[in-house]
Amino acid sequence: MSDYALELGFRLLLLISLAEAWNLLAGYGGLVSLGTASFFGVGAYALVGLANQLGVPPALAVPVAGLAAAALAALMSRPLFRLRGLYFTVGTLALAEALRLFMINNTAFGGATGLFLAGDAPSLQSLFLMALALLAVTTLVMALATRSRFSILLRAVRDDEDAAAQIGVRAFRIKLLALVVASWLTGMAGALQALKLGAVEPYGTFGVQWTVAVLSIVVIGGQGLRAGPVLGAVFLVALSELLADWPALHLALNGLILIVVIRFAPQGLAGLPSALAQRRGRR
Amino acid sequence: MPGLELVASGLVGGLLLGGMLALIALGLSIALGVMRLVNLAHGELLVGGAYLGYFLTQATGIDPFAGLGVVAVAMAVIALPLHRLLVAPLAGQGMEAPMMTMFGVSIVLQNLYLLAFRADTRAIDTPYAGRPLQWGPITVPLTYLIGFVVSVVAVAAVHLLVSRTAFGRDLRAASADPVAAATLGVDVGRVHALTFSLGAACAAMGGVLVGTAFSFTPNTGATWLLVSFAVVVLGGIGNVFGTLVAGLTLGVLQSAGALVLGDGYRDLVGLVLFLLALAFRPQGIVAATAR
Repeated sequence: MSDYALELGFRLLLLISLAEAWNLLAGYGGLVSLGTASFFGVGAYALVGLANQLGVPPALAVPVAGLAAAALAALMSRPLFRLRGLYFTVGTLALAEALRLFMINNTAFGGATGLFLAGDAPSLQSLFLMALALLAVTTLVMALATRSRFSILLRAVRDDEDAAAQIGVRAFRIKLLALVVASWLTGMAGALQALKLGAVEPYGTFGVQWTVAVLSIVVIGGQGLRAGPVLGAVFLVALSELLADWPALHLALNGLILIVVIRFAPQGLAGLPSALAQRRGRR
Repeated sequence: MPGLELVASGLVGGLLLGGMLALIALGLSIALGVMRLVNLAHGELLVGGAYLGYFLTQATGIDPFAGLGVVAVAMAVIALPLHRLLVAPLAGQGMEAPMMTMFGVSIVLQNLYLLAFRADTRAIDTPYAGRPLQWGPITVPLTYLIGFVVSVVAVAAVHLLVSRTAFGRDLRAASADPVAAATLGVDVGRVHALTFSLGAACAAMGGVLVGTAFSFTPNTGATWLLVSFAVVVLGGIGNVFGTLVAGLTLGVLQSAGALVLGDGYRDLVGLVLFLLALAFRPQGIVAATAR
């Protein structure tokens, strides 16, 4: 494969994995997160730390770096879950912004300039394979999470937390498990991105653009639907390639599409066929 | 440890900033209390107000504080079609769809600002910008004090509007029980439109004050949004007096944080306090949303 194809493939695989993780939270758990960047960023910084300080090889460092993001999720679960619904959303947004500001101001982790990865960066080919492995793990996790007893409990909590608690579902534990798993996957994606760039810095790694991309992919693709993330990622990557020279215009258009999809196609692209069929059936 | 004068000036500056914070947060709070709308574009409306104030001052040469009313009315008028097109059609679809729509609006606005005005850092200029005000050991910029006074007056005006007028009665009714209010002849749709408009006007006025006392870029909105949320959580949704107290408290705490840790940590302190408030003192909100 050409370098361009590998580059594009890497990005697509990474975004699909991130979107799957976000979909687990929002689509199946009703936990709309605007904090993707925080877990992504912690994974990225953890990878650089593991590789530079301890010399851990990439194949091992990526999953371990993901664990750092999972630990952050467990640590933050109390403030994030204390209030229901939309306070989770605002809390995750605050977490991402707080971490970004901390990383900019705190010199221990390189401050505003960030850190460089020591040693040679892996080849594009092996990065692509690692991203493929991440997607395989993500798919496996999603298959387990969406076809097991866990998925029923998670959806019960999403639809009515009080009723679920009444019949004995431990809502806090279920939500915590979903958040920790999703954050682990998100952290591994961040670690892979750090490996590819060979550097981390707060503006890019903890930037809101990752959150915007992931959320747009799932909402445009179809929230809570299996095919949603893939469709959304292909759509968004195609859009970003078309408008690669106009980043601000690309983001503005991205936001506009998001608004239009929420209004007119709440089930996203993946839900369009059934929505159209329903409309035809009504006539 | 910095000297007494620096500490005193810093804390008083924080208190004055806290007044402006209260005005900004009040706009967020009434939209949340009355419409159950998490307006994630509140920060971008603030930046929009700052740009309006900036260009109004440049074009006409009037004092930004004199132009405050013009900016507030202009933003209120701009907000009406925004509500009609984007928020009103999603009524009855829960809180998530309108919130995500406003997130989309914030992305669109931020990047439109970037395209139209570029990433330049701007500040609204006044003849007395940078003029200090001295009182004993305390020195604060004059613009802080004017911003504080204007904010407190505006917060008091909103309080009177909500508690003493016919519109305020409709607003409180629509907030407490929209269905019952509608049965009794309150035009809930109209109340929501005007509430959104009022919230946007608060943001825009805050934007002019912030733009005069500090500076702004297309991206400054997010931080103001989150710090405002901290004020809303601490003060209780829809509670005007609580918002004012919480704003002043947060302003002082942020300045204390900036004095101890360094100026870069000012906003971080606000966000950490927000997360701590969520973890340990969310009662104010639970009472308001547990319906």
